[in-house]
Amino acid sequence: MTIAALSLPATTPAAREGRVGFRQAVAAEVSKLASLRSTKLLLGITVLGTMLVTFLSTNGAAHHPRQWYQGFGWDPTNQAMAGLAIGSLALGVLGVLAISGEYGSGTMRSSLAAVPRRETLFAAKATVVGLFTLVFGEILSFVAFFFGHAILSTGVAPTAHLGQPGVLRAVVLTGAFLSLFALLGLGLGLIIRHTAGAIATFAGVTLLAPILLQTIAGHPAKYTPAIIFAQSVAAVVPQGNQLSATIGFVLMALYTVAALAVGAVVLIKRDA
Amino acid sequence: MIVTRGLTKRYGKTVAVDGLSFTVPSGVVTGFLGPNGSGKSTTMRMIMGLDVPDAGAATVNGLLYDELRWPLREVGALLDAKAFHPGRTARQHLRWLAKSNEIPGARIDEVLDIVGLTSVADQRAGKFSLGMGQRLGIAGALLGDPGVLLFDEPVNGLDPEGIRWARYLLRDLAAEGRTVLVSSHLISEMALTAERLVVIGRGTLIAETSVEDFSAQHQSEAVRVVTPTLQLMVTALSKEGVRPTVSEDGGIVVTGVPCARIGEIAARASLTLHELTPIRASLEDAFMELTSDSVEYRSRERELVPAR
Repeated sequence: MTIAALSLPATTPAAREGRVGFRQAVAAEVSKLASLRSTKLLLGITVLGTMLVTFLSTNGAAHHPRQWYQGFGWDPTNQAMAGLAIGSLALGVLGVLAISGEYGSGTMRSSLAAVPRRETLFAAKATVVGLFTLVFGEILSFVAFFFGHAILSTGVAPTAHLGQPGVLRAVVLTGAFLSLFALLGLGLGLIIRHTAGAIATFAGVTLLAPILLQTIAGHPAKYTPAIIFAQSVAAVVPQGNQLSATIGFVLMALYTVAALAVGAVVLIKRDA
Repeated sequence: MIVTRGLTKRYGKTVAVDGLSFTVPSGVVTGFLGPNGSGKSTTMRMIMGLDVPDAGAATVNGLLYDELRWPLREVGALLDAKAFHPGRTARQHLRWLAKSNEIPGARIDEVLDIVGLTSVADQRAGKFSLGMGQRLGIAGALLGDPGVLLFDEPVNGLDPEGIRWARYLLRDLAAEGRTVLVSSHLISEMALTAERLVVIGRGTLIAETSVEDFSAQHQSEAVRVVTPTLQLMVTALSKEGVRPTVSEDGGIVVTGVPCARIGEIAARASLTLHELTPIRASLEDAFMELTSDSVEYRSRERELVPAR
């Protein structure tokens, strides 16, 4: 085996301007997210699952007689948004894997060798995961809305359109909410550092918590992410004793920021 | 250049590294030796900024690792086998590393070629053998064409050809003026690769010297004598004030006396010699002797029982 000649770059490191900063870290994080097989898999599951559940939800509700839709809170937007629940879980797992996979595989050592300033690494990862899932979530939310309404229109169900009060807000906030799920997953992954543990915690917070809290008086389940998502944010017609969409969204944002803040501290303070 | 000053790290009550101070110059390969648990990996992690020292500091080119402006262009490290995600291909792994430090994409193909992974560049790294994984790690270390290189057990998993390739690579890198620190257990391999040695045990510095001086200081000059008249030889040597030891295979080992003198003693006593061989204790023996007090994990000596 011959050794190929090593060539020095045209500029030596000292002469090169700038340093590894936020921009460079973001470029690396984009490259990482795009090259993870689980990313494509989870996005694919999200799209297919969302379409399927939205179809089932709207198709199932589209063919009642006209009177069925009067007298109770018929919410066609909420019906159409039903499929996005798949996204809440899948994108949460995406957020977890964006960091826990690094610890599990030893990639974190390479990441810290490349971007030793941990605040920068954290900021870049959170930005890339957050922005990417935000764009994806918004597109999916609008697609689900239009698709769901297309299905509803095959029957006599009253449909909504974006110009009506609360509808646009519901669609936009629902899409953004998916991004919050992803960032929550990222926060949990940073804290727990272990894929199975972080996903289990995420599932516990989103799926189990509402069930466990059902029995307690005062309906505390309405403060949990999944309930906020399904009944406060993705809804136009108020469903009984729920938080308003804005308050619910802000509360979820606070949960997410808290998880990310603790996660950032863990990343910065603890040995890798 | 790598400099450590008073580097200390504790894990609970255990002191993994204790006031370690040494310098790794450029232009030579420096071997970092020590028994298991002596603190080699911890020290290298502190140089890389992965662990924060409890006291003291380690600097690279005068700066702490996180002060480097383009870390991968200044320091390349292979600390762990498989510090990459198994789901990514070799190329994808190198690509994100390159992007993080604005290293041109062409360099990826260059380093893949240097380590010999071009043909498997688009295979998932999880499928790689240990040796291939090591090569990918080396590729990552060389990606930024850095002036300082740290390798922790680089030949782990490589076949003899690979070990030789790595040895030449390390020596070439040092010959180009780079700083090369290699930690290894393979002392005989280290003797062929390194010019300087830093030896640690139980977290403290035992020796910081050149391979040449180390060999000279710690090797005893011994001579092996084989003669048909063993007892007479022993007597003749004893009369001259020499105390030989008898080895298992019927030979005599004499230390501290040159071959010539032993030959003359035998001649004066009219004894026949079948063998008069100088023995140089290997670097391994010298190392074992030096670090015998510092071995953290020693296996129990097993008695060899003859098969029935």
